[in-house]
Amino acid sequence: MSVIQVQQLSKQFRTRVSSQQKTAWLTKLFRPQYRSIDAVKQVSFSVEEGEVVAFLGPNGAGKSTTIKMLTGILQPSGGSSTVLGFDPAKQRRQLAWQIGSVFGQRSQLWFHLPPADSFRLLGAIYELEPSVLARRTAELVERFALQDYFDVAVRKLSLGQRIRCEIAASLLHKPRLLFLDEPTIGLDVVARREIRSLLSELNSVEKVTVFITSHDMGDIAKVCKRAIIIHHGEVVVDESMKDLKHRALAKKYVGVRYQEPVQFSTGGLQPLKATDRSASFEIDTRQHSLPELVRRLSGLGELEDITIEDEPLENVIADIYAARSEQAARNVTAGGRAKDAAAKSAGSGKEAAGADNGRTTGSGESQAAGGLS
Amino acid sequence: MITEKKKQTTLRRNSLGSYLRFMAMAFRINVKSVLEYRVNFMLQFFGMMLNNAAFAAFWAVLIERTGGVGGYGFADIMFVWGFVSSGFGLAHIVFGNIRGLSRIAIEGGLDVYLLQPKDPWLNLLASRTIVSAWGDFVYGFIIMLLLPGIGIERWLIFLSLLVPSALLFSAIFSAAESLCFFMGNSSSISSAISEFLLTFSLYPEGVHAGWYKWILYSLIPSAYIAFVPLHVFQSLSWPLVPLLWGIAIVYILLARLLFRQGLRRYESGNRMDARI
Repeated sequence: MSVIQVQQLSKQFRTRVSSQQKTAWLTKLFRPQYRSIDAVKQVSFSVEEGEVVAFLGPNGAGKSTTIKMLTGILQPSGGSSTVLGFDPAKQRRQLAWQIGSVFGQRSQLWFHLPPADSFRLLGAIYELEPSVLARRTAELVERFALQDYFDVAVRKLSLGQRIRCEIAASLLHKPRLLFLDEPTIGLDVVARREIRSLLSELNSVEKVTVFITSHDMGDIAKVCKRAIIIHHGEVVVDESMKDLKHRALAKKYVGVRYQEPVQFSTGGLQPLKATDRSASFEIDTRQHSLPELVRRLSGLGELEDITIEDEPLENVIADIYAARSEQAARNVTAGGRAKDAAAKSAGSGKEAAGADNGRTTGSGESQAAGGLS
Repeated sequence: MITEKKKQTTLRRNSLGSYLRFMAMAFRINVKSVLEYRVNFMLQFFGMMLNNAAFAAFWAVLIERTGGVGGYGFADIMFVWGFVSSGFGLAHIVFGNIRGLSRIAIEGGLDVYLLQPKDPWLNLLASRTIVSAWGDFVYGFIIMLLLPGIGIERWLIFLSLLVPSALLFSAIFSAAESLCFFMGNSSSISSAISEFLLTFSLYPEGVHAGWYKWILYSLIPSAYIAFVPLHVFQSLSWPLVPLLWGIAIVYILLARLLFRQGLRRYESGNRMDARI
């Protein structure tokens, strides 16, 4: 059963255009000009009950905007979404009873008070009976190991402790769906690992569906079963973590060190770097045979050490971002050329309208350019 | 069937009782939060009372020389000051965020309230208390104790009109702050409206003459915050009490409506913050 269904969801923000002209302040006062920015462009996906889905993308890709539309904070400019059977744009408060959320940079705990007090207030907000609140609080305190600092003012807690409390607080009313926006931002390695294991446990024990954005590939690889990658407001990848990892498996890094200096001869494959006794290679297993490379390297001399590593997942995702950015840049250029040609053919000596538009126009024009080519 | 069940759940939830429980808990938490810094609390509490008392001394000297201002004697002025202080204080004690609404909205701080199932306007306003407002609130009671010849009936009028006064303050402050949704940074105009309301309320009705007096009965309702309550207090006009309650409720509902309209334009943000 789908808990989230998103169809052609879009969000545009309107922003004022600034000008460098001397009289800009006057025109800005009486005739301000605006341009719209597409933060999210016709995004479609669905999430099934019990899934743990990573929602990835570089800064400014539209992740947080999408989450804010799915939780009812922002009104979409177009498209539709259903979360747990509710329309977040129209039924935000009904939906709020059934979802939990942690926005890493925003706290729902009182800064000067212990988490215990915030839990009491949240109990009143979610209308939990005192006995139910006490039982649920005890349960969460135990699961999240909050005993030692549950009565300590939030301002005195470490970031890791605070995030643990934030996640526990978001679960107080037993939500069916949990939205996490950068929950591990700023945490150290140990705290991240703890949060990840708690999220996995949460999903398996409480059967909570988790929708998470993070820049930390460790979070994604350890916790999530599926990844949706969004870039420039568009979904560019929607596949299982298994498939995403498979992309990583296609590339291997092989490092070798010999007891004596050797002459590297590996059938056309150039080392990434090499000394007289060591070298490292990047190999695409779809084009080159890994066993063949290892056999050749073994034959070059007496091996002291050999390592074979998968490509880190973050490299795979960074490659996806980079590929999309390049494509967008090409589209903008092509769009600009098409626009110039159109302006010339119209006999206009003036600049084409919206010449200083950013990616919005560029992207829109790219479709026309694509059609022309 | 499912829709019916959903409706029933919604009806059961967010009842008046649940809101009262929430408000009581928010008040408790807010008080606990300010008492974390007791010295600061005491300083601001007594500092505000001292500040108000300085104005009382000023009025005493002025009235002694002039015999009265705008038709008000010293006792009238003191009642207005005490009553307005307590109403102003009560508004800021219960709805401590009324003067911070626009800042919170511009910085994207409404997200936390929109993610919770309670009314975001009420949730936001009730999430803070202002320490110095406790001094304002108590100041009115001290004035009432010091005024000569105040019987039980006048005490009852004072108490029964405090809530409408606080609601009117909250309504105008909230409405002024909600302008940020329509104007972007509206801090100057918001603070100007708030200052007008307070200043006009603290001076005798007689000094406000001409057309702009009608503004004090409509846009900036100082009349219902100070002048009419003084009339009720002097003449013991009980029928005006429910009328003032009604007016206050209309104003507060309009302020909420303005906030809700503005909320549609809310664009959130990504500033890091904490609830203090």
